[in-house]
Amino acid sequence: MDFNFSDDQLSLRDMVARWVDKGFAFERRHRIAKAGGRTRDVYHELAELGLTGLAVPEAHGGMGFGPVEAMVVMEELGRGLVNAPFAAGALVAPALLAAAPAAVQSAWLPRIASGEALTVLALHERAARYRWHQVSTAAAKAGNGYTLSGHKSVVSAADEADAFIVPARLSGIADDVRGIGLFVVEANATGVTTQGYPTQDGARAGELKLTNAPATLITEDGHALLEQGIDVGIAALCAEGVGVMEQYVKLTVEYMNTRKQFGTTLATFQALRHRIADVKMQLELGRSMSYYASLKLAQDPAQRRRALSQAKVQLGQSMRFVGQQCTQLHGGIGVTDEYAGSHYFKRLTMLEMAFGDTMHHLGEVSSRMQDTAGVFA
Amino acid sequence: MDLNFTPEEQAFRLQIRQWVAESLPKDISHKVLNALRLSRDDMQRWAKILGSKGWLGYHWPAQFGGPGWSAVQRHLFEEECALAGSPRIVPFGPVMVAPVIMAFGTPEQHKRFLPGIASGEVWWSQGYSEPGSGSDLASLKTRAERQGNKYIVNGQKTWTTLGQYGEWIFCLVRTSTEGKPQTGISFLLIDMKSKGVTVRPIVMLDGEHEVNEVFFDNVEVPAENLIGEENKGWTYAKFLLAHERTGIADVNRAKRELERLKRIARAEGVLDDARFRDQIALLEVDIVALEMLVLRVLSAEKSGKQTLDIAGLLKIKGSEIQQRYTELMMLAAGPFAQPYVREAMEAGWQGDYYARFGICAPLAGIYFNYRKTTIYGGSNEVQRNIVAQTVLGS
Repeated sequence: MDFNFSDDQLSLRDMVARWVDKGFAFERRHRIAKAGGRTRDVYHELAELGLTGLAVPEAHGGMGFGPVEAMVVMEELGRGLVNAPFAAGALVAPALLAAAPAAVQSAWLPRIASGEALTVLALHERAARYRWHQVSTAAAKAGNGYTLSGHKSVVSAADEADAFIVPARLSGIADDVRGIGLFVVEANATGVTTQGYPTQDGARAGELKLTNAPATLITEDGHALLEQGIDVGIAALCAEGVGVMEQYVKLTVEYMNTRKQFGTTLATFQALRHRIADVKMQLELGRSMSYYASLKLAQDPAQRRRALSQAKVQLGQSMRFVGQQCTQLHGGIGVTDEYAGSHYFKRLTMLEMAFGDTMHHLGEVSSRMQDTAGVFA
Repeated sequence: MDLNFTPEEQAFRLQIRQWVAESLPKDISHKVLNALRLSRDDMQRWAKILGSKGWLGYHWPAQFGGPGWSAVQRHLFEEECALAGSPRIVPFGPVMVAPVIMAFGTPEQHKRFLPGIASGEVWWSQGYSEPGSGSDLASLKTRAERQGNKYIVNGQKTWTTLGQYGEWIFCLVRTSTEGKPQTGISFLLIDMKSKGVTVRPIVMLDGEHEVNEVFFDNVEVPAENLIGEENKGWTYAKFLLAHERTGIADVNRAKRELERLKRIARAEGVLDDARFRDQIALLEVDIVALEMLVLRVLSAEKSGKQTLDIAGLLKIKGSEIQQRYTELMMLAAGPFAQPYVREAMEAGWQGDYYARFGICAPLAGIYFNYRKTTIYGGSNEVQRNIVAQTVLGS
């Protein structure tokens, strides 16, 4: 039981922090968001730092790091409010491809590691909400390969991605957990169209339409793998949320110590002091459960699933509370576009809805509840 | 980073588990696991069993006869005791006053007081709060006047938990009215059998007699019972508070009580009611998060690095969780938590009464009783002041 970071992990954190401080000032982020949230050049800069190879095995040109390194990087990207699709491209995609046939791994993982290929999971279908097994995108055999037809929504960086990982139904009815294949679809293949749009938090997403689009199989029985990939995504966004919260709390503390009303700083008012104490509580509970999420990723699926949903419930609550209260503590300036704080708030809000919101995961915790409880249960 | 305890720590845990299984009397664990009233004898029997093993002062350093365990070992010991249904160690002697005596007492005071605390023979009480001094403890007025080689103590302490059993009491007393209120306070050990000491019960909202008022009327206390220097008592009191770290979160007991909540909810038919079950699930997330917070503090202590600035959060969250599980237990019992049968309560809900009312009868009383947790030990509002000070740096 040890929550200290190794020296290597600390220097990794330091490297990302330095890039954020030098290369990703709020003004740049704001400009990108205003222009539609395209971040491919930002993603390239992360690749130049070697970060896109973080989770790719060394045999495929990556660094082969684990969940704790991913957590460290995500915390720092969160702190800098970096709106590039790093978790999607560099953490979730390699996790899903780890189960692909050797040839598919060799074709994609080195390009993912180098940052050349931005590959994102196309998860959402309009009718499915957070029921990941409810897949109506259809897969059909075509010669030695497959073609896919269907519509995926709110796909991260859809019109900037080079390839998509697509859950599609090979057999069974729409909400059967069996019969869901995972496929790679290239963005420039025939039958693939995307329609991009900016998101509320200054990033970018889009609709993905597939019409008999050629696809490469990762696995025919993909539901368990999909859940695993989503849990990698949950751990990543928990860590990002911690970084975002930490920075927003820092901005708020600075503001409370400088802004004066009634002739004295906001920090002297007990109502506001208690509010910031409650914010600190939610930040630290969130950080604790972010650690928990990353450290439980390697557990067996049942334990991992329960733990990751527990973490998402905590982070969902923490992010909403910290976001709302830090905005409130700023008064009028907190609800302006010009001020950085409001963008932290918007990111926290969108993170709560990624990979299942708090109510969804509370349902998961509830249905997976055991007689015993605790970190080691 | 590693979530798991080391193999040595896990072996230690098993050793404790085995010893507790062999040593904890079944009639006592039955009461604890079903939240039935413990008698003085129950509490002291367990204290003496621990004492004879040298574990009542389980966080004492080896030089004072303690086992010299690390913070992690202490945590594992607490957890194994809690999960097995041991009574909470009555903290006033071994946990609270002993470390102060060790740190600031004379060798004579060590010899005189520590053995009786370590063995569980002597029952200690705490004399801090006064009718006019709750959260603002430093405003306390109980006076100790030096006359030759003794102090004459006059005043009143209150909220003295289990003071009806107390043999000795450690008190904060005013020895000077000059300067800031904090600078005129001394730390005095008082024999409760002394002439002029009167203990009067306070019946709490659940009908139980758990706390007391203690009156001092010209009580003569030998000057050799002063700990450390006169007027330095506030420093020692703060040291005592600082000594209580992760234990205050009481997360191990919360895990045990969450299991009990699930049993009650199942027995009362609400465990599968989605609305009720989700509330239990939320509490479960809270408890896991609190346990992670505790483990983070332990890890920081273990690595000897700077202690985290989150210790102040432990009391707030821990006490809120305690209140929440008692609340949900009562709600699970619903109408069957309503009967208030005084004779049954006096009998500790044992025997015939227990058979008649089942697990439901004591639940409302415990819920009422646990409103104390966000009030005592520095109210949660005072705790928020402390956290805010840390966060804002101003």
